[in-house]
Amino acid sequence: MEASFLAAVNVSILALAVIFTVLIILIFTIKLLVKLIPYKAPPPKARQSSPSASSSQDDHVAAITATLAMHMGKSPDEFRIVNISQS
Amino acid sequence: MMEFSFGAAATKILTTTGVSHLEGGDILMIGVACIMLYLAIWEKFEPLLLLPIGFGCLLANIPMSMMANTDTGGLLNFFYQGVKHEVLPPLIFLGVGALTDFGPLLANPTTLLLGAAAQIGVYITLIGAVLLGFNMHEASAIGIIGGADGPTSIFIASKLAPHLLAPIAVAAYSYMALVPLIQPPIMRLLTTEKERKIKMEQLKPISQTVKIVFPVVVTIVCCLMLPGVTPLLGMLMLGNLFRESGVTARLHETSETHLINIVTILLALAVGSSMTAESFLRVETLKIIVLGLLAFSIATAGGVIFGKIMCKMTGGRVNPLIGSAGVSAVPMAARVSQKVGSETDSSNFLLMHAMGPNVAGVIGSAVAAGVFISLFGDVPALEPHAAIADIVGTVEPGRAAVAQVIEVLRP
Repeated sequence: MEASFLAAVNVSILALAVIFTVLIILIFTIKLLVKLIPYKAPPPKARQSSPSASSSQDDHVAAITATLAMHMGKSPDEFRIVNISQS
Repeated sequence: MMEFSFGAAATKILTTTGVSHLEGGDILMIGVACIMLYLAIWEKFEPLLLLPIGFGCLLANIPMSMMANTDTGGLLNFFYQGVKHEVLPPLIFLGVGALTDFGPLLANPTTLLLGAAAQIGVYITLIGAVLLGFNMHEASAIGIIGGADGPTSIFIASKLAPHLLAPIAVAAYSYMALVPLIQPPIMRLLTTEKERKIKMEQLKPISQTVKIVFPVVVTIVCCLMLPGVTPLLGMLMLGNLFRESGVTARLHETSETHLINIVTILLALAVGSSMTAESFLRVETLKIIVLGLLAFSIATAGGVIFGKIMCKMTGGRVNPLIGSAGVSAVPMAARVSQKVGSETDSSNFLLMHAMGPNVAGVIGSAVAAGVFISLFGDVPALEPHAAIADIVGTVEPGRAAVAQVIEVLRP
C-alpha cells in the first residue's frame, strides 16, 4: 500500500509538472501570436444617412402618399411627395 | 410444420418473458434508472445527458431485452462500440470546439494557469483512490472526474478501466449537474468579500487571424508533446477551426448542432447500457461517487486558491472567483463565478473573464488525460497498423515498408 501511495504521489507531481509546462508553453505561444498579429480595428464605414431613419421616413412617405391618393381619388403614381418638413 | 401444444406454448412464452428472469439487482437498477429520469425531467439536472443515460440504464436492465452493452448483437452493444473504440468522445469534442469561443482565453492567456491549477483535484483524487485500494489505472480513470469533463472521463475510463465506465460516467455527469450547488460554498469559504468585489479590466479585442491560428498551434504544441491526447484535443481544435476559419460555415453549423446532438444520444445510451446490476451494484461504485465529489471540490478549491495567488501577484487585478471556472464544465462553472461575484456586487460582471479559465479547463483536463495515456496507456505508434500487420507482418519504417506492403497486396 505504501509503495502504491508513493507511486501515486510521484505520478501526481510529475503529471502536474507536465500540465503546467505544456500550458505555460501555450501561454507564451499565445502572447507571441497576439504580439505578431495585433488586433486592428475595422476601418470606419463611410458616413451615410441612418438606414433606420431613412426607412422610417420612407414608411411615412408611403403612408402619406396612400392617404392623399385615397382622399383625392387619384392613383398614387399620379403625384409625388418631394419634401416633408416638421413644423 | 411445427406443432405446439397449448401447455408447451404457454410455458415457452412464460419462460421468455423478462418477468421470469427478473432478479433483485435488475429491480434495483430499474429504480436507479427511474430516479435518473426523475432528476433529468423534473429537477432539470443535465437533462440532455441524464435522460438518455437513465433510459439506456432502464433498457439494459430489462432481462432478455439484449440491450446491455455486453449483449453481443444487441442494439446498444453497437452503440457501445463507439465508446469502446474511443470514437464518440472525440466527436463530442468536435462539437464542443465548434461551440467554444477561445477569445476570452486569447485575450488573457495567463488564465490557462487557472485551468492547470484546477487539475489538482484530479491528482489528489488519484492518491485517494489508490489509498482506497484501486490500482493506478483505475485511480487515474476515477481522478479524471475532477476534470469535470464528461467526454474526457469516458475516454479515459474506456481506455484505462472499462469495467468502471458506468459509475465514472454517472459520477462525472451527476457532479457536473451539481456544479451550482457544489462550488459556491467552497468559493465563499476561500475568498474574502473584498476579493469577491474585485472588478477586472475589460478584455482586449483579439485579431481574427490569431483565433484562426490558435487551434492549429495548440494541436501542434500539445499533440507533439502528448500524442495520446490527439483524438480529443485534435477534434476540439478542428471544431474550433470550423468555427473561426469562416470558410466552413456548413461544417461548423453541423458540428455545433446536429452532429453533437446525434453523438450525445449515442454516447449517453451507450453509457446507460453499461449500467447493469453486475457492473454498478458494487462497493466500488460508492467509493467512486465519494471520490468524484472529492475531486470536484478539490478542483474548485485548487482553482480559487490559484486565483488568490494571481490576485496577490497582479496587485488585485484578478478576481479569485474566476479560478473556480478552471474545472471545465463549460459554461456552467463560468456562470457560477458570475453568480457568486454578482451576489457581493451586483455591478460586477465576471462572466467573460471566467470563460477564459473555463475553456482553459477543457484544454487542461485534455492535457491531464494525455499525461495518463502517456503513463498508463498502450503505445500503438511503435506497432504497425493492426489490420496490415495481420497480412504483411511487422514492417520496418521507410520505403522498404511500402514495397513490402505492395508486394503482399499484389494479386
